[in-house]
This record gives sequence, structure tokens and C-alpha cells, in this order.
Amino acid sequence: MILLQSNSRFLLQTLMNRVQNLEKGVELDYNWFEFDDVRYHIQVTMKNPHILLLSVSLPIPPPETIFLGGLPFGAIEAIKAAYGTLVQILDPPRDGFNLTLKINLSKLPTNQDQRYALLLKVASVREVVLGAPLRVILKNLAKRTVAPDLSPLVALVHRPNESFFLVPQADKVTVVYPMRFNDSIDIVLATSFLQEFVEARRTGGLYNAPSCTWSLSPPEELKEAPAHALSANAGFVTFVILPRHIEGQKLDRTAWNLSTFHAYVSYHVKCSEGFMHTRMRRRVESLIQALDRAKPDFEDSKITSQARSFKRMSLKDSKSRNNSIS
Amino acid sequence: MDPAASRPAVVIDNGTGYTKMGFAGNVEPCFIAPTVVAINESFLNQSRSSSKANWLAQHNAGVMADLDFFIGDEALSKSRSSNTYNLSYPIQHGQVENWDAMERFWQQCIFNYLRCDPEDHYFLLTESPLTAPESREYTGEIMFETFNVPGLYIAVNSVLALAAGYTTSKCEMTGVVVDVGDGATHVVPVADGYVIGSSIKSVPIAGKDVTLFVQQLMRERRENVPPEDSFEVARKVKEMYCYTCSDIVKEFNKHDKEPAKYIKQWRGIKPKTGAPYSCDIGYERFLGPEIFFNPEIYSSDFSTPLPVVIDKCIQSTPIDTRRALYKNIVLSGGSTMFKDFHRRLQRDLKKIVDARVLASEARLGGEIKAQPVEVNVLSNPIQRFAVWFGGSVLASTPEFFGACHTKAEYEEYGASICRTNPVFKGMY
Repeated sequence: MILLQSNSRFLLQTLMNRVQNLEKGVELDYNWFEFDDVRYHIQVTMKNPHILLLSVSLPIPPPETIFLGGLPFGAIEAIKAAYGTLVQILDPPRDGFNLTLKINLSKLPTNQDQRYALLLKVASVREVVLGAPLRVILKNLAKRTVAPDLSPLVALVHRPNESFFLVPQADKVTVVYPMRFNDSIDIVLATSFLQEFVEARRTGGLYNAPSCTWSLSPPEELKEAPAHALSANAGFVTFVILPRHIEGQKLDRTAWNLSTFHAYVSYHVKCSEGFMHTRMRRRVESLIQALDRAKPDFEDSKITSQARSFKRMSLKDSKSRNNSIS
Repeated sequence: MDPAASRPAVVIDNGTGYTKMGFAGNVEPCFIAPTVVAINESFLNQSRSSSKANWLAQHNAGVMADLDFFIGDEALSKSRSSNTYNLSYPIQHGQVENWDAMERFWQQCIFNYLRCDPEDHYFLLTESPLTAPESREYTGEIMFETFNVPGLYIAVNSVLALAAGYTTSKCEMTGVVVDVGDGATHVVPVADGYVIGSSIKSVPIAGKDVTLFVQQLMRERRENVPPEDSFEVARKVKEMYCYTCSDIVKEFNKHDKEPAKYIKQWRGIKPKTGAPYSCDIGYERFLGPEIFFNPEIYSSDFSTPLPVVIDKCIQSTPIDTRRALYKNIVLSGGSTMFKDFHRRLQRDLKKIVDARVLASEARLGGEIKAQPVEVNVLSNPIQRFAVWFGGSVLASTPEFFGACHTKAEYEEYGASICRTNPVFKGMY
């Protein structure tokens, strides 16, 4: 459950709502954001209630990444392959966005399961677009080839002005993430989390998982990378993806997990901070309880001799004491 | 400029019953989910032995318990389908009671529902007008420490409800907000955007009491509802079928004359056995909301009807604001959604006001004629999330980012910056 889902929850909810109430021509105009600076806009007009305009804006790419017409390479093909005739790519896209899709809801399949699967795919548009170049490379790996026109070090954008790197080879793909965090506490937590992460990989039962290393200094593979990409304050994480990690169904999941690795780590860091606070709160409560227990009870303190010697007595107190003596 | 300020703020309105969350600048919240957390506590109750080998297992169990929880509708369905989850309602009567659950709830809201990075957005949260400064401090601590938000604004929900009407008609920041939520009912007079703190009135009857009353009525009539489901059924009945009547006696007669028209059927499935059942819904349809107008039918502790409370509240404000306050009475909160609620409220309130005007005229012997007092109870279609909408409007103004407590301020001064409520200080 701590893994991030590939579909946008709100987009899926909106689409499902829309499909169920297609006759009711309700106007819709909504803007929202997701992690890593991905922005969505959805619009439906009264005139054409079954036409849905979905715009997506991607994080600003750093200079070393390859972007064709505002999209990562392979994205157009991926969109066409994923959605078929359901969507049409509008050119130029809506102002301020990288991609605008025109979705024709009347072309949805009538079968409930197929329809849901397709809508789920539309809701995962982010995975389709941003993960496209990664999938191209991984597919080549499955065929155990390297695309000839590809440079030996491929940079892919995953956060605004930040990229991660791939070294495609015929029998494996090495993926390197420079990890950056803004907050000093986050950096500490993330570093220790990543070390644990690497450690966990070594324990039994996980020997099928991609091998994973972490280092503070940039690894060998990044020799040719531009200098600004090598300033990572939480070290570098390297995964080695083998063909067996991307067999059949596993491809999509691997691609998604790789392209959102940074979000995954930062989500974990936030959660651990939260849980630490929970522990701290519990601790403070138990300490307060202990203090409360140690507090001398007022009624009892009158009787103990110690309290008598230290307590400043009021007039009433002394009277009652005199009475009790006499 | 701060890049986070160029993105829309996240607006989360945590109510006792439902939480409304979304991004500023939109007309509707993204999600409306029940404020409830289902926590798996089975790990915690394992036997505690001190052996070293067990320590790791216990540690892992603790970690799992931290991760294994659900919120919103998922939480409700999880708790129904298995016994391992305990439901926890972090907000009671409009106040946060369980901070651990609340923190988890926010975490899921942000990461799983809205799926945004909290470091990228300013946040606007809401609180009831009677929230203690300590609780505001706690909220600030969680938001800045755990989620690293760049800026935070904690708004008073009644002011936001008033701001919701602000765009649709005219800029009117004077009015009485009647906020009937699930857990708390407040009557809050606001003059020119400032809350008149000394005149806030609370009523111990809210949406949950309507549900409990409906449940009680159905139980007393021995309707065929499985006991473990009866609260949920009562809540659904309240949300779907309840309405406000103008006169109870007439309404009883109507029901008795034409039962076919007024008595509804409820069908459900027993959660344990899976057998279907059905039951009738009769008088509780109008008796439920009636507890606001005749509280004595529900509880013997509190017997002041809501219109009288509103009238008392306005009478206790400065004399020069009273006319304006009568003119603009705004409803907010899910429990004001009953059909014709505002009409009934307006009629009852008008009666009280007119009686007072007549009495004072009679006392003066008809020498001076008072100008009639205009009473207006406003309702609008977005009443259910009016507070959220007001927050969305407020957070999309450029001044909003300046009014926020920022992360830098928090680090400089600590959580005490959240103590002062900007509403009582300036800038609504």
C-alpha cells in the first residue's frame, strides 16, 4: 500500500463519473497537480458532453534530456499504442501544457471490464507519457539488443530540472538516480533509508530483485554526465535491471517503479517522520503519566512528616491541626 | 519568488463527518471522504517477551502496524469485512482528539488521494471558531515538521463559509454563519470579516444527533435492521430521505392519510449472513431534522430551538450591526441540506423578531413606528462544501500567500506562530 499507484485517483474518479452520467451534460473545468510537478487540466463543454479534453504538463526537462516537441521520445507512439482510436492528440497542445488529448467517450467499448481497463489506462496517462522512453529501452533489453542510435548514457527527466540516467547494454540496463532533498532532516533520513534499502536487498528471499547499490560519490557510469547533474546531496542509487525483471507483465510495473523512485523515497521519508512523531508523542505521554504518578497527592501530603516541615501553613490549616492535637 | 507560490494551494477542510480536499481555484473539492481511519492494532497486542530474537519480529510488526491503515470509504469497508481493523474518528465535535490518527489521515489525504508533494504547495486548513490555540500549534507542528509544507494558513471555517457567498453576489463580509456540521453546531456572527468572538453560540445538537435520533426511532418501532448496521442505515436514511416540515401535526396527518406516498422502503443486505432485508421509513423522515426546532423531543438537557439561539446571538452583538446580521444569515455544513431547512429557519426567526418589534411598539404606545427588520436566511447549492469553496476562493487570491505562516518563520520562532489567529488580528 505504500507504493504509489500509477493511475491518478482523481482522474479515474472523474472519468468513471462522466461515463456513468454521459447524458447529463454537466460542464467541467478542473485543474490539479501531482507529485514531481505534473499538472493536469480536464475540460468538458456543454456543447459536446462526450468529448473530454485532457491536458498534461510535465516537469521542466533539464538540458541533457531528449525532448521531441515537448514530449519525451517514444511518447507519441506509446499514446497511440495504449489508447488506439479513443484519443486524438491535439496539436498544438493547450497553452502552458505539453500534451492535450481529445478523448471521445462515445468510442469506449461496451464491455464493462474492457471499459474499466481502458479508463484505468487513461488515468495512468502520466505513466504512458513519462515512462515511454524507459519502456523503449527496457523492451530492447528484453530482445537483448541496444538501439543503435542511442547514446551510451541516456538521461530521463523525473523531477523539474532533474534527471536520472540509464546505461543501456545488451544484457542489462544500469539505472542511476542522483538523490536530492531540500530539507536537512530529509537528507539524513533519506541517506539512512537508502542504506537500509541496499542492506535489505542482501537478505535472503530477495535474490531475484534487481541488485542495488548506494554511494555518496557518483558511480563509474556517470563519467560523461554533465557536472550539474552530479550534485546530489543524498548520494547515488544504482539499480541493475536484467531481462528477467521485465518479462511479460512485469515490464509496466518495473517501468513505473523506476520512473517514480524518487517520489517513492520521499514518500517514505515523510512517513517515517510522521511515525517518529507518533512515537515521540507516545513517549511524552507516558513520561507525563509517570510524572503525574510521582506528584505527591495533596491530601496525603498533610499527613507525612516531610510535607509538614516544608509546607507553609495557612491559618485554617494550623487551626485544624490544633484541633486534632487537642 | 517562491516556486510553491506559483502553484495552487491545497485546501483541506477536516470536518467531524466528512473531509473535503482539493486544490484552490476550483469550484469543487477533488474528494469528499468520511473522516475516519481504520487502524490494524492486532500487531500491538502481541505478547511481549523480552528475548532478543523476538525483538526483531516485534519491531517488524510495529512497522507493519504503522503502515497498515486505511482512511475514508476504504476504512469503512475494511472494518466491515474483517475484524482486524479498528475504526478511529480523529475529530470529535469539531475538535481534533486523536493526533496520531489525524496525522495518518493527512498523510493519506496528501499522498494517496491528492497525490501531491506537500513541499510543493501552500496549505489552507480549517478549524472551528472555538479551537484552542494549543491545537492550532499542534496542527502547525505536524504540517511543518512532518510534511515540510512551505506555508500554512489556518482559517476559521465560518468565515470561509461567508467568503463562499462573496463571489456569487456582492462583497458582503457581515453576516451570521449557522454552521451545522456532523459533530458541532455553531452560530457565529461576523462583522466586516471579523468574528465577534464574545457572541458565538454553540448548540450541542448536530448532524450526528439527527442520525442517533433516527436510529432510536427505528429501533423503538422494531424495524428489521441488523443492530451492527443500524447506525449506518440511519445515516443513509438521514442523508437520502429526511426533510424539514412546516408543522408537525399536519405532517403526521399527511403521513397517516397517504402512507403509500410518504413511507419509503429501505433495502439492505445483512453484513454477517448476507441475507437481504427491508424496512419502512416513516415519521423519522421529518422528525429527524425537527430536533433543531424542538430539541425537547430528543434530549432533556437542551431545549432551546435553533432559531431562538440565533436570535439570542444577534441580540448580544453590538447594536449597530444587528440589522445587517439579520439580513444575511448564511447556512453551511452538511446538516443544513435538509429540504426547506432554510425556509423553516427564516419563518421561525421572523416570528420571533416580529413579536419583539410589536411588543416594543405596544410599550411605546404607538408613538414611534419601527422600521421593519429584514430577516434573510440564505441557502445555496454548494452548502455542503461551502467552507471548502470559501477556502478555495480565499487561497486563490494573491494576498493569500503573504498571509500564510511560512516554513522560515516556523523555524525562526517555533510553533507559537500558529497561536495567533489572523482572523482576529486582521485580513479575513
